[in-house]
Amino acid sequence: MADLRAPVSGVVTDIQRFSIHDGPGIRTTVFVKGCPLRCFWCHNPEALAPGPQLQHFPDRCIGCGACVDACPEGAHAMHEATHRFDRSRCTGCGLCVETCYARTLVMAGEVKSTDEIVEVVLRDTAFYEASDGGVTISGGEPLQQAEFTRAVLAACREAGVHTAIETAGHVARDRLLAVLPVTDLVMMDIKTMDPELHRDATGVSNERILESARLVSDAGTPLVIRTPIVPGVNDTVESIDAIAGFAAGLRSLVSYELLRFHMMAGSKYAALGMPCRAAALRPPDDELMDRLTDVAARRGVVVTHT
Amino acid sequence: MIDRTNLYETRIRALHRAKLEHTDEKIARYGSFDVDDHGYIPWTEPIPFEPVSSHPSGGCWGMKDIGESFRRWLEVHPVYIHPQSAIAGAWVYKGIPGVAGFERATDMGAPDSPKGNRTRTLDGYPKNWRPEDRPTHLYEKLLGYNTYSPGIGHPNHFGPDMTIGLDLGWGGLLEKVLRYRELNSPAEGGADTTFYDGEENLILGMQAWIRRHVEHARAMVRLEDDPATRENLETIAQINEHLVDGAPRTFREAIQFLGWFQCIDRMWALGGALGQIDELLRPWYEADLASGRETDESIIWQLASLFFNDSHYSQIGGQGPDGRDLTSPMSFLVLEAMHRIRIPVNVALRVHDGMDQSLLRKALEYMAADGTGVDFALSGGLDEGFMRNGYPVGLARMRAKVGCNWTALPGIEYGSQDGTRLCLVTPLLLAIDDVLATNAAADAAADPPAPAAATMDALWRRYEHHLGVAVATVKAGKDIHMERQADNYPEIVLNLFCHGPIERGLDASAGGLDIIDLAFDGIGLATTADSFAAIEQRVAEEQKLSLAELRRHLKDDYEGAEPVRLMLATVPRYGSGGSRADEWARRIAELWTSLVRDTPTDRGHWTCMPGLFSHGATSNFGRLLGATPNGRRAGEPVSHSADPDPGFVPGGGVALTAKANAVASTQSRWGNTTPLQVEIDTGLMNSMGGTDAVADFIMAHNRQGGTLINMNIVKKEHVIEAHEDPATHPDLMIRVTGYSAYFGSLSREYRQPIVDRIIAGG
Repeated sequence: MADLRAPVSGVVTDIQRFSIHDGPGIRTTVFVKGCPLRCFWCHNPEALAPGPQLQHFPDRCIGCGACVDACPEGAHAMHEATHRFDRSRCTGCGLCVETCYARTLVMAGEVKSTDEIVEVVLRDTAFYEASDGGVTISGGEPLQQAEFTRAVLAACREAGVHTAIETAGHVARDRLLAVLPVTDLVMMDIKTMDPELHRDATGVSNERILESARLVSDAGTPLVIRTPIVPGVNDTVESIDAIAGFAAGLRSLVSYELLRFHMMAGSKYAALGMPCRAAALRPPDDELMDRLTDVAARRGVVVTHT
Repeated sequence: MIDRTNLYETRIRALHRAKLEHTDEKIARYGSFDVDDHGYIPWTEPIPFEPVSSHPSGGCWGMKDIGESFRRWLEVHPVYIHPQSAIAGAWVYKGIPGVAGFERATDMGAPDSPKGNRTRTLDGYPKNWRPEDRPTHLYEKLLGYNTYSPGIGHPNHFGPDMTIGLDLGWGGLLEKVLRYRELNSPAEGGADTTFYDGEENLILGMQAWIRRHVEHARAMVRLEDDPATRENLETIAQINEHLVDGAPRTFREAIQFLGWFQCIDRMWALGGALGQIDELLRPWYEADLASGRETDESIIWQLASLFFNDSHYSQIGGQGPDGRDLTSPMSFLVLEAMHRIRIPVNVALRVHDGMDQSLLRKALEYMAADGTGVDFALSGGLDEGFMRNGYPVGLARMRAKVGCNWTALPGIEYGSQDGTRLCLVTPLLLAIDDVLATNAAADAAADPPAPAAATMDALWRRYEHHLGVAVATVKAGKDIHMERQADNYPEIVLNLFCHGPIERGLDASAGGLDIIDLAFDGIGLATTADSFAAIEQRVAEEQKLSLAELRRHLKDDYEGAEPVRLMLATVPRYGSGGSRADEWARRIAELWTSLVRDTPTDRGHWTCMPGLFSHGATSNFGRLLGATPNGRRAGEPVSHSADPDPGFVPGGGVALTAKANAVASTQSRWGNTTPLQVEIDTGLMNSMGGTDAVADFIMAHNRQGGTLINMNIVKKEHVIEAHEDPATHPDLMIRVTGYSAYFGSLSREYRQPIVDRIIAGG
C-alpha cells in the first residue's frame, strides 16, 4: 500500500476552469494523461499516451531556429529559413519547448504535484459554492493514475470541494476501490453492450467496464452513465436500449446522458502526428438524439442529451 | 371600433424598424460612431437659431446667457412624433449650436471622436469652456502622462432623482425655481439671480416645446386615416396639453415626462442617467392596471416607446434602503419591453445576495435570445465599498447604476463619473528611462551592477513617483473643474432634478449636492502588470536581455526582434492566477487606489474615488503609446479596464472564473466600479445547464466583491462576419463596455478589441 502522506505527482495535459459539462455546477476539470482505450473518435488524443509528447503547430512558427540549437537529438532543422521537424527522432525531452516563444512546439503533458493541482482547483471555490460545482478528474483515464487522482480528490474533498471522476471504467478493481472513497460522483462511459463491437471500436472488450459500473453501484457512489453517440458505432435504437437497460439495473444511478459526437480535435491529431480516423464523421442530428433519448427513457432512467 | 389584436406588438415592430432606419442614416452621414447609440434622430433641414452672447468671442457661457439661449433653442427645435410611439419628442443635435463651446454648424449629430488623430493635443480643452478659463498650464504634464481625458469640464455623469420632476411637473418645477429665487434674494435687491434666471428660461423653453408638440400631434391627427393611429396621436396631444404645467397623473404621462427629460438631458450634455426605473414607475403601473386604464401589453409598448426615445441608463432590481428586494412585475415588464423592441437599451440588473433569482434567469434567457441585454451591477462590491466612506448601508443600497460603468445616489451624489481616465502604462515607460539614466550614472562611477531585486525596486519607486505626479496633476485639474465648470457649462438640466442646487442656488458641479466623490478611472492594468512581470522574469532574473536592450527594442517597436517580443509576451500573464503578473496587478491596483483615495484635492478638498475602467478607449489610449515590455507593439490598444488581456490562458479556453478572480483581486473597494467584461458563446449558454452556470457565476462574482459585469452572449461566427462586413448582421447588438450599440455602427478599430475578446472566448 502506498504511503498516502507521500507527495504524489501525475502527468496532466490541461486544467480547464469554468467547466460546465463535466458534472454538476461550475467545475474545474483536470485532464490526466494515459488511457487504455483507443476509441477512434477520441477528442483528447493528446491524453492517450501516458508520457509527455511534443505537439507541433507549424502555422505559428516564426522561423527563429532556436529549437535547432536546443535539441540534442537533431529532431529540428532549418531548410532555407523553414523549420522541419522529424518526429521519429523526438524523445519528448521538452528542451526545445523552452526556447519556442512562438508556441509552435508545445508539450502535451506536464508532471504536476498534487499540491500544484489542488492550489489551482481551490482558486475557484467561490464559484463551486454558488453553483454546487466542484472538481472533476478526467482524461485520459483518471484511474490509470489512481494514486494521483486519489490524492487530488482527497485534498479537494478535505477543503469542502465536491469531487467527481470521468472514467472509461476499464481498470483493475483495486484502482477503482482506491479512488471511490474520496469520490462524490462517478461519470462512466459505456459505448456499447456488444463486447466484440466494443473491442473493434475501442481496442478493448467491455467486460471490465461493466464490472466497474456494478462495483460503483454496489459501493453506493452516485453514478452517471454516459454514451457518446458515434455514427456507425452505437447510433441505433437497439444499441442505446441495451445500454439503458443495463443502466437501469444500477442502484446508484443518477442519470443516463447521451453525448452527441463532435469532431473538434482534428488539429490536435495533426499536431501529434497522428491520423484522425473520425474526421469524416458527422454529428448526429436533433431528431436522432431525441429518438434515442425517448428509447432510453422507456427503461425508467432519467435521460438527458447534449 | 379599433382592433387591438397585436396592436401593441405591431407598434413595437414599427419602432424597431424606425430605429434601424435612423441608425443606417446616421452611419451613412457621419460614418461610424464609437459611443452610445443615442436616440437622436437624423435631421437635415436648417434650424434658424442664434444664441445669446455677452462674450467678446461671440460665444455663449454662464447661466444667464445659456438659459436664454436654451429657451430660444427649444422655441425653434424641430418637433417629432413617431405615430406608433406612445410619446412625443426627439432631439436632433448633440449640443446646442454655438452654446457652451458647441459648434455653430447645424449638422452636429456626429460625436467628437479622436479617431484618426495621430497627433493628440489638448489645445482648446475643455472645448465647452471660455478660452480664458482653460487650464493651459496643465496640458504639457497631462499629455506627458498620456492623459488626454482628465475630466475637466466634463458635464453630467451623475444621477438625477426623477421623483422630483414626476411629483412636480414642469409647472411645479417652475414654481420651485421662482420660490427659491425669491427666498435667496435679499429684499434690498442687488443679488445675483442669474442661476435662477437660467433655470426659469430652460423650463419656459421646455413648456413652449411641449406646446408645439401638442399642435403638431393635432395636425397629424387631421392627416391620419387609420383610426388606431389617430386615437394614439390624439392621446399624445391630450397628455402633453396637461404636461405643459401639470405633474404626470398616469403611467403614460410619467413615461412622456421621462421622455422629455431624456431629450433635454441629452441635447444639453449628452446626459444619460434615469434611475431605478421599475420602482420609479411601479405606483403608476399598479394604479393604472387596477383601474383598467392599461394592460401589461400597453405598458410594454409604452416602455418600448421610452427606449426608442433614448437609451438613457436605468436600473431594475436591487434593494430598498431597508434591504427589501425591489423586484416587482414592473422589473419583468422592463425586460420584456427590451426584448420586444430589440434596440440598444441600457438597463442594469442590480444583483444582491438575496435577489429574486427568477428575474436574473429571465434576464439571461432574453440575453441568450437577443445576444445582449442588461448588464449586472453588483451590490456585493458596490455597497460594501461605498459604506467604507462612512455612509450607512441604507444609503449604499439607494445608489443606482445609471451610467456606462457607474452608480450614483439619485439627486444627492456628484461623481463626475466616466470621464477621468489615467493611463497606468505610461509611468512605467518613464520609470524605465529613469532607471537607465541612474544606471548610466553608476556605470560612469564604475559602481558594481545592481542585483535583480534592486532593479525591480528601483523601477517600482520611479513608477510610484510618476503615477503619483500623474494623479496629482489630474487632481489639480479637478479643483479647476469644480471652480469653473458652473460658470462655463452649468448643470442647468440636472440641477432641477437634484436635492440642493435649487434650494441653495448652487450648481451641482460647484458643490450643490451633499456627496461629492470625483471618480478616477485607471486604464491599462493588464498591459502594465504583464510588462512588470516580463521585465522581472526576462530581464532581472533570467537576464535574457538587459534593461537597456529592452528599451532599444521598445523604441524600435520590436523591429527585427520578433523572438524577443514573443519571449516577453509569453511570461505567465495577469489572470492566470498565482503568477508574478497577478502580484504586480494587485500591487499596481493598490498603489492606484491609495494615490487617488488617500488625499483629497489640494484646494477644494474634494474626495476622489478610484476605479479601473477604460470605457471603449483602449484603442485611443494605445494609439500614441509606444511599444510596451509585455510584447505589445506601438499603437496597439492597451488592455481593457482591469480585465486580463485576451488569451491570457496559455492554449486558450474559456477561463471566466480566472478572469473574475483577477478582477475581484484588483477592485478599489470604495464604491466605484472595476467592471468585468465577459463574452459567452451562444452554444455554451444554450447547452444543458448553461443558463444556471452563468447565473451562478454572476452570483459568485457578486460575493467576491465584484462591482459590475458586462456580458455579451454571441455567436462568434456572427461577430466575425459582421466585423468583415457590417451589412451581414445589421441588427447585431453588442455590449461594448457598459453600453450597448449596434456592432456595425462602431468603427473598425473599435470593433477589433471586441472581436479579439470574443475569439479568445471570454
